[in-house]
Amino acid sequence: MIRQFQALSKKEFYESAATFRLYILLAVFLLFGMLSPLIAKATPDLLAAIDTGMVIEMPEPTALDSWTQFFKNVAQMGMIILVILYSGIMSNEFSKGTLVNLLTKGLSRSVVILAKFVAASIVWLASYLICLGTCWAYTIYFWGSVEISNAFLTFAAPWLFGEILIALLMLGGTIFSNVYGSLFTCFAAVVVLNAISLIPKASRYNPASLAGGTLALIAGAGEPSQFIPAMVVGAVLAAGLVVATIEVFKRKRV
Amino acid sequence: MNALEIKGISKSFGQKKVLDDISFQVPENCVFGFIGANGAGKTTTMKMILGLLKPDNGTGSIIACGEKVAFGSSKTNRLIGYLPDVPEFYGYMRPKEYLSLCAEIAGLDKKSIKGRINELLELVGLSDANKKIGGYSRGMKQRLGVAQALISEPKLLICDEPTSALDPIGRKEILDILRQIKGKATVVFSTHILADVERICDRVAVLNKGKIALESAIGELKVDRKSKSISLEFDKEVDADEVARVLASKGMAPAKCEIAERSIESLFLEAVK
Repeated sequence: MIRQFQALSKKEFYESAATFRLYILLAVFLLFGMLSPLIAKATPDLLAAIDTGMVIEMPEPTALDSWTQFFKNVAQMGMIILVILYSGIMSNEFSKGTLVNLLTKGLSRSVVILAKFVAASIVWLASYLICLGTCWAYTIYFWGSVEISNAFLTFAAPWLFGEILIALLMLGGTIFSNVYGSLFTCFAAVVVLNAISLIPKASRYNPASLAGGTLALIAGAGEPSQFIPAMVVGAVLAAGLVVATIEVFKRKRV
Repeated sequence: MNALEIKGISKSFGQKKVLDDISFQVPENCVFGFIGANGAGKTTTMKMILGLLKPDNGTGSIIACGEKVAFGSSKTNRLIGYLPDVPEFYGYMRPKEYLSLCAEIAGLDKKSIKGRINELLELVGLSDANKKIGGYSRGMKQRLGVAQALISEPKLLICDEPTSALDPIGRKEILDILRQIKGKATVVFSTHILADVERICDRVAVLNKGKIALESAIGELKVDRKSKSISLEFDKEVDADEVARVLASKGMAPAKCEIAERSIESLFLEAVK
């Protein structure tokens, strides 16, 4: 089992590199990491450059603006790119039939799902950390040292949301065997989660708030305890989705 | 001992009954031809042997290499090699990388992997084809398919129409490879090309409308086959009249004797030699 897991996760990393998925993700998130502080810093100058005849009073940008940009970029474009690049994680294998040779060699079906999920998670984590590190470095460069309260909780939240998205793509791909099924499952789930957040009482537990909602923590406005329930629900949801994918795959005709 | 025993298996897809209570045995170390028209249920049978499809509830049993096959579990698959009708690979890999992935999944001893891969590439004639699999021809993919199926030295090799999509040379290469395997493993291969069966099979089963219509050793089939018409082929050119005369002298004067037109296949094989 452990050897199969190693062999298959090696294959997943190799595939990410050979299909350029790894490089695209790393490059895009590096770009976001650089852009976020730059945009924050440059916005007043940009507005001043556009002579509209109106006088716009802009406060001097702060490190907080840089982090606002960071969360906006990662939570919106970043997540969309992550989803698109990983939409074929299961469905490519099914539509081409590439798993047949491996499964008939005694490869465990649970290992397939776990290895794919773990490999994707590591690539996602690496991309995210590059983005975060770059943004952090630029922010310090522009604004000097910055105090960030509850840093771990704040920055772990978007990563966890990405994990939920990856798990959703895998479940959808395993059920429907094609890319559209993957994307549909993922977007439908996100719509449902966002709909739930309209209910005030439920929003505290809603993982949808993880994508960008923890920003308040940095500003020192929110209490960590407000976000911990959503984090716990999110982690349980991601794990549950992976288990569900394994169960669906075990019953699937290949 | 039998390498494969199938007893009373049925399978329906919705209303359509694809296999109706089929049973047959494959003795060890033979080449077993599984013949049937397209859609006769050959692939369905093979996928059930591999545990990729589930037989209808409560029907029969499949025993491969002395162990019962269970759907969804891949335990028996370490004893079985499988070549799908159109084997699919990761196009970005090179053959050695792919076979090494297969070897690790099959749990081969780390030290023996390299030697085994070279041995197999030699067997299927791909030792020098170290380009990405994405650029392989159909015939090369099929040969790589045989190599991956044999990676763990299975006792039973199952090939689903290994020759159907190939040109005559590709077909001959695959059949030659299968013939070499004979003796080391039991080979079950499905086909609708009867010439292939004659070339390498020891036993055959004919699947028709979901039932086994015929099962026999090739030798027995041939002994049984008294016929009014027999076609002959010689290694060198002969005179048709001479042949007729010789036969007549043995009391078997042919009612009709004609010179066969050369088959397109033999012409093709000669032309591209």
